[in-house]
Amino acid sequence: MAGILEIRNLKVFYGVHEAVCGVDMDIAEGTITAIIGSNGAGKTTIINAISGMVKRQGEILYNGKPLSDKANRIVKDGIIQVPEGRKIFAGLTVEENLLAGAYTVKDRKEINRLLEEQYALFPRLGERKKQDAGTLSGGEQQMLAICRGLMGKPRILMLDEPSLGLAPVVVNEVFRNIVRIRDEGITVILVEQNAKKSLGICDRAYVIETGRVVLSGTGSEMLNNPEVAAAYLGSERN
Amino acid sequence: MTLQLLISGFSLGAVYALIAVGFAIVFSIFKFSNIAHGGMISACAFIGYFFQSSFEEPPPFIVTALFTTGVGVLMALLIDTIAYRNIRKKQAPGLYYFLMSITVAILIEQILSVFFGKNLHTYAPIFSSTTFSIGGLRFSSIDTLIMVISLAILSALIFVINKTKIGLAIRTVAISPSTSQLMGINSSVVIMAVFAIAGALAGISGVLLGTKFSVYPSLGPSMMTKGFIVSVIGGLGSLGGAIVAAIALGVVEIFLTYWLGSLSTPIVLFGIMLLFLTVRPEGISGRFAKDKV
Ligand SMILES: Nc1ncnc2c1ncn2[C@@H]1O[C@H](COP(=O)(O)OP(=O)(O)OP(=O)(O)O)[C@@H](O)[C@H]1O
Ligand SMILES: [Mg+2]
Repeated sequence: MAGILEIRNLKVFYGVHEAVCGVDMDIAEGTITAIIGSNGAGKTTIINAISGMVKRQGEILYNGKPLSDKANRIVKDGIIQVPEGRKIFAGLTVEENLLAGAYTVKDRKEINRLLEEQYALFPRLGERKKQDAGTLSGGEQQMLAICRGLMGKPRILMLDEPSLGLAPVVVNEVFRNIVRIRDEGITVILVEQNAKKSLGICDRAYVIETGRVVLSGTGSEMLNNPEVAAAYLGSERN
Repeated sequence: MTLQLLISGFSLGAVYALIAVGFAIVFSIFKFSNIAHGGMISACAFIGYFFQSSFEEPPPFIVTALFTTGVGVLMALLIDTIAYRNIRKKQAPGLYYFLMSITVAILIEQILSVFFGKNLHTYAPIFSSTTFSIGGLRFSSIDTLIMVISLAILSALIFVINKTKIGLAIRTVAISPSTSQLMGINSSVVIMAVFAIAGALAGISGVLLGTKFSVYPSLGPSMMTKGFIVSVIGGLGSLGGAIVAAIALGVVEIFLTYWLGSLSTPIVLFGIMLLFLTVRPEGISGRFAKDKV
């Protein structure tokens, strides 16, 4: 089974510091791939390298063809990132944030359909569509950030720590939605600190340490792996 | 009399608004004060003048205005390419943009002074009569025309910024260039759009100012000073605030000139602005210069 995304020997340097040191990954279409690892392991950098936000070395094949290195081209081609810390546009309304997410969608009717789809899934966003997005609660902002990503009609959606700083109930809602997004056929790459929950829903997982893949396997293999348990599941909340 | 003065004030204020907005839109994206905007206004005033004088019979005003607006766009894109692009590529600090814009401003003014500074140039009159009357009240034809054109352009601009795709992209880049990239927004397209808009505004302000006053090399820079202060008072980068402040300034200036004469008006005017900046540095819009259009 050829993956939708094949990453070979990916390297990223910040100056002389090598943040990602030759990572290989195979992402299968329609699955959730979890990337876990401690702070500063290089998870965000890997995502940014795929997104074309940082200069990368190595090879990334998307549907068998080399992936562009221009950020706007990559989004247009269907690989969309929901960044760490949500990064919603404060000062713009909820609806304008969603419209910004649909920047690459040309058809006005299609944009309206996508808007309705988000409002149907998250009525709270619909109720607040004219509100300054900066005034939303953390949970609402995370939903908005995910919906903004979905507005661009991704084939691959990359979520960077979507549960960060959220209350347990909201975390559960976020994870339920990630599964739903996968079930709609969108390939998900999920970067998480919450290893237990992400290993619980993912089809495959990679553990990153200091810029290298140190372990990979299916979600349940990883959950039962004593090394993983010791390093990442020990002090987990819930 | 009051109504006529008010129209005059609105007319002058609307031109200040065109200048302030051209200035504020560049600030909102790049966070530097584009002093070169004043030089562009002068250059465009001259270009409009020479374009008009190159015909036996001066072409309709609209032709001169459109031509100069187009030249303004090209000039702004050229200045961006020559002066700012490399600084951007090197991700140099904002100070370098500022220095570059001062350099460009002085360069333009010097070129204009050397070649065209000797004589005073005036545009061909647009109207056969300088005033017209409605119901017994006399209005200045040129002031009314300037007011109508400026307000139309400002409305069009507000529409573009608030209701179009490129306008939304400009606003997101003003807030966060990197997050905008994640939306698939091409930052070079947005940057070009912003300079094109600023250039168009410089072009049309140049022609309007040239028509109202006469054309001389420091025309733009002197007007620019007011546009600059007004955009700070309005809340730098806030288009609505800049427009309100500009029109208020125009009205106050005209009334002061009427009461105090043109000699002492600038003293009072800049005194008021100083007071405003001391008391309320965050501007009318209530926000310190930050990332909003
Ligand atoms: N812009 C940058 N410039 C220089 N070094 C950077 C930059 N961004 C990240 N780094 C470094 O690269 C390494 C990997 O950082 P990265 O943000 O990818 O980690 P992470 O796994 O996402 O961590 P976290 O879980 O805290 O988000 C770290 O050592 C970090 O200090
Ligand atoms: Mg990170």
